[in-house]
Amino acid sequence: MFNRILIANRGEIALRVIRTAREMGIECVAIYSEKDKKALHTRMAHVAVPLGGSSPAESYLDAEKVIAAALETGAEAIHPGYGFLSENATFARRVTEAGLAWIGPPPDAIEVMGDKIISRRAMKKAGVPCVPGLVDPVDDPAAAVEAAEGIGYPIAIKAAAGGGGKGIRIVHEAAEMASAFRTASGEAVSAFGDGRLYLERYLDRPRHIEVQVMFDKHGGGVHFGERECSIQRRHQKLIEECPSVVIDERLRGKMGEVALRAGHYVNYEGAGTVEFLWADGEFHFLEMNTRLQVEHPVTEMVTGVDLVREQLRVAANEPLGYGQEHIRMNGHSIEVRINAEDPLAGFLPSVGTLHNLRAPGGPWVRLDTAMYRGMEVGLDYDPMLGKLIVWGANREQAIERMKRALAELNVGGVRTGAPAALAVLEHPDFVAGDFDTHFLESMELAPPEEYEGLVAAAAAIFRHNQARRRALEPRASERAGWVARGRADFTNHSRRATNGGGA
Amino acid sequence: MKYYVTIGERAHEVELIERLGKLEVIVDDKPLELSYDEADRLGQVVLLHDGRSYAISIEGGARQVGVTLAGHYYGCELEDERERAAQLAARAAGKGGGAIQAVMPGVVVELLVDVGQTVSAGQPLLILEAMKMQNEIRAEADGVVDALHVAAGQAVAAGEKLISLSVAE
Repeated sequence: MFNRILIANRGEIALRVIRTAREMGIECVAIYSEKDKKALHTRMAHVAVPLGGSSPAESYLDAEKVIAAALETGAEAIHPGYGFLSENATFARRVTEAGLAWIGPPPDAIEVMGDKIISRRAMKKAGVPCVPGLVDPVDDPAAAVEAAEGIGYPIAIKAAAGGGGKGIRIVHEAAEMASAFRTASGEAVSAFGDGRLYLERYLDRPRHIEVQVMFDKHGGGVHFGERECSIQRRHQKLIEECPSVVIDERLRGKMGEVALRAGHYVNYEGAGTVEFLWADGEFHFLEMNTRLQVEHPVTEMVTGVDLVREQLRVAANEPLGYGQEHIRMNGHSIEVRINAEDPLAGFLPSVGTLHNLRAPGGPWVRLDTAMYRGMEVGLDYDPMLGKLIVWGANREQAIERMKRALAELNVGGVRTGAPAALAVLEHPDFVAGDFDTHFLESMELAPPEEYEGLVAAAAAIFRHNQARRRALEPRASERAGWVARGRADFTNHSRRATNGGGA
Repeated sequence: MKYYVTIGERAHEVELIERLGKLEVIVDDKPLELSYDEADRLGQVVLLHDGRSYAISIEGGARQVGVTLAGHYYGCELEDERERAAQLAARAAGKGGGAIQAVMPGVVVELLVDVGQTVSAGQPLLILEAMKMQNEIRAEADGVVDALHVAAGQAVAAGEKLISLSVAE
């Protein structure tokens, strides 16, 4: 096992990796930007290396600086976390060329899975079910109309280099194709510098369900069941759970087997996630994320497996040492992402300085966060401040526990999406398990009316007290007057002294 | 002291009367029995009402106060009587338009309107990028664009004027 690793990330995921590494007796090297000098990951690591700069490009995305920091501090491996350089095959190659271990999949696997067209082609060859559609990109609207006849409307136009919902257009009939094609292509060029588009059938009420896999370097591989990630808006997930209410033992086995087949086909190593769209009892391959996912804790809670520990073991060449038959799923887990955003204003980003933090606790409640009092939440980094995760013996218990934990949580200084998550958890359709990826966007997100009178009274008293306190504070002009008098005395005194000296 | 508290689309009147060192609270013309104690200066408040305890958190300034109660967030807009009168006078004078400000720091990606252009309520005026997301800033009422205070590509701070509108009568 490694003695020392470098974590090429920040925020809660850097802390997540540091925690497991510490438990394994591994020393951690943190890297930090100018803005993160006081950040928790900087404080919690054994060694912290400043990279300078405030923008991600000057720090966490600067491959050269990151590798140099690892070599200088004697780290033997690099854990990329998620985001930043985690799915950058070129970076992964440079890490191994520098003689360091890469705590992630082989660069070739990152490359294949990173391109939607190449990955779909590979998955079709591997016998993995894909959404009905074209494998190859289409060149112009006329070709798209022709191809759409064979696939069937509605059609989704997607960017080959896409992600994050950019460059996607839904087309319901041939007449809409030309304009949708043009705008999607323009968006893809500006977002990814790559205007290639492909077509697939648009699934009307899909659920986003993904399977966690783990492979060692000796041909072994297991899956840890699925995660349900349908509560999202603009393709940003808000609530995730494990297991999914629509997946039974038989389907779980089938999806797991397909996910393992996908991984084996690209000689995968380490942790990965195979994403599927599920509709009407059928599942279709969407993409493979070649890193640890944000929502990995729900899998950990239900399977009892520390996924970061497994990542480190695999990177250190250890065999998994267990098979599929040893993986047991127990109970239910839910995660809520705490993002700095305003759910009542269309989830607009919210910035400010954090104060008044109150963390939830109690049995089976886990808070993975890098928040601290005084932390500046700006626009330079991802708005995700942390994740609240709970476990329950069943889904009902997990929902009740999450509602209880969210009621305990206070994050003052910015607005967060937590109240929206609470509204989802209280919604009868969510409780019944009846939802799809459009659920959150279709919801009314107003707080309960019954407490408004009480809230209005509290707000008025708060302002009243604030004004009274301000009236009692010494005013700036009074302080200035005192200083001026002091200076006048001093002047008189020195003049007198001068006079006296002259006499 | 009377305050007008707007939560979402509903308005509430809160009257606070200090009598013998105690605060009497009247909400929407009904007396409200409650005890209010600030646990710290950071916003943790102990609220007791009708035999029940509400551990709430409050933050904000004079005009805008945010209250979190059992995980739910209430954005409250407050006006005292003087502010209410000034606001009503301004509204009567037809100043419903005015400058649209940036609600957060960001970069102006694109201006979608020109000076002198007639716009309708809900029409996108400009695109502001913040936290890697593009947000459309829309007109709140029908009107005419009076002035553009920013240019495409410009970085703006929170509260900075973006566009001035004069509202149609």
